Amino acid sequence: MKIIIDGRDVDVEYGETLLTAAKRAGIKIPTLCHNEAFEGQGRCRLCMVEVERGSMKNTVASCTYPITGEIKVSTSTPLIEKMRKNIVMLLYKQAPGSQLIQDMYKEYGCVDNSLEENNADERCILCNLCVLACREMGSSAISLIMRGTDKQVATPYNEAAEVCLGCGACAEICPTNAIKVIEKDGQRIIWNKVFNLVNCQRCGKPFATREQLGYIAAPGKDISTQSLCESCRRKSAAEKIQGFM
Amino acid sequence: MAEDVSNTEDMISPIVTAYPREKRYILAMMQDVQKKYNYLPKEALKMIAKHAEVPFSQTYSMATFYKAFSLIPKGRYNIRVCDGTACHIKGSAVLIDQIYNNLGIKPGETTEDKVFSLETVNCLGACAIAPVVMVNDTVHAKVTSSGILKIIEKYRGDAGDEDV
Repeated sequence: MKIIIDGRDVDVEYGETLLTAAKRAGIKIPTLCHNEAFEGQGRCRLCMVEVERGSMKNTVASCTYPITGEIKVSTSTPLIEKMRKNIVMLLYKQAPGSQLIQDMYKEYGCVDNSLEENNADERCILCNLCVLACREMGSSAISLIMRGTDKQVATPYNEAAEVCLGCGACAEICPTNAIKVIEKDGQRIIWNKVFNLVNCQRCGKPFATREQLGYIAAPGKDISTQSLCESCRRKSAAEKIQGFM
Repeated sequence: MAEDVSNTEDMISPIVTAYPREKRYILAMMQDVQKKYNYLPKEALKMIAKHAEVPFSQTYSMATFYKAFSLIPKGRYNIRVCDGTACHIKGSAVLIDQIYNNLGIKPGETTEDKVFSLETVNCLGACAIAPVVMVNDTVHAKVTSSGILKIIEKYRGDAGDEDV
C-alpha cells in the first residue's frame, strides 16, 4: 500500500500509524510524548499533520492516526506550523524551566505574551511517558493525579511508594529532564524514597538499587548478570565470546 | 454524619468485597465508601486497588481526578455553597468570604473540630432562589451575608446539643 507524504511515495502497511510510516521513510515529524516503546498517546499534539483523503482535508495527530486508505499527507504547512507554534508556546507556559522547551520556544519563534505564571522551575509537560515506563517496569508507583491546572505526576499521597524499585526508568525516559534523581554516598533518592545502591562486582561502581536487583532475581528470570554494571556486563559477554574463538 | 473511622479495614472490607474483582467496579466501590464516610480513607484506596487487582497509584489517580471524591474527612455539617452563574452574580463569593472569616475554612477544607466543611458546587439547579447554600441535605434559599452567619450559628448550636 502506498501513500504520499510531502510529495513522496511511501510504502506503508495497513493499520500502522502515520508517524511510524513517516519515521521509516526518514521524514521528520516533531514529537515529545512519543517513544517507540509505547503506542502513540496523542498528548503533546506536536505531531499534527494535514491529511487529505479524497476531497476531505483534516489535521490529525500522526502518532495515533492509523493508515487505512490512500491519503496525501503534508507534515509542514502554514496551518500546521501555526498550530505547532501555539502548542510550543503553551508548553513553555507549562514548563518554562525545561531547557528543551526553552530551545523549542526560540526555534518556533514564539513571542512572549502577558500570561504571568509562578512556575519558573517547572519542567514537566505531563507527557505521561514516565507513568508508562513505570507501568512497563511492573511497579506502577507513579501516576497522573488531580486534573486540569493541578494535574501532576506523583506517587500516592506524595509518599515514598512501597512498590517503587528506584530503577529510574521514569527519569530516563523523561524528555524534559523533569524527574529529580539524587545520587550520592551510595544512595539514590527518587520520588521521596531513599535507596541503597549496590556496587558492581567488577569495577566497584554503584550501579543499581537492591530493590531493582531483587526484582530481577525473582524466580524465572536470568540472574547470572545481576551484580555487574552495564559496561562490565558487556565486557564480560565479549570475553565469553572470545573464549569460543 | 461521618462515622468513626477507627477499625477502618473491618468497616470498609464488606463495602469493597460486595463487588466482583473487576476494574470497572472501582468507581462504584469508591462511591459507596464515600457515601458511608464522606471521604475516601487511604486504607480504602489500598483495599480497592487490591480487590480490583490494579496498582494503588491508579486508584489514587482516579480518586483525585473526580471532584465528587474527597481525600480529607468532611465535617459533620458539609456546607455546599452554589457558585453557579446565577448564584455567583447574586453574591455567592461574599458567602464564601463570610464563612472563611467565621470558620477559617476555604472550599475543600474542614474545621479542626470536624464540625463544618466547605465546598463549592457549580450549580444546584435552583437558580430562582439564588444564592443557594446546602448544609448536608437541607437547602437554604436566598442566603444573605448575615443569613449565612445565622445558619452557621444554628448548626453550631445543634452540634453542641448532640455532644451533651
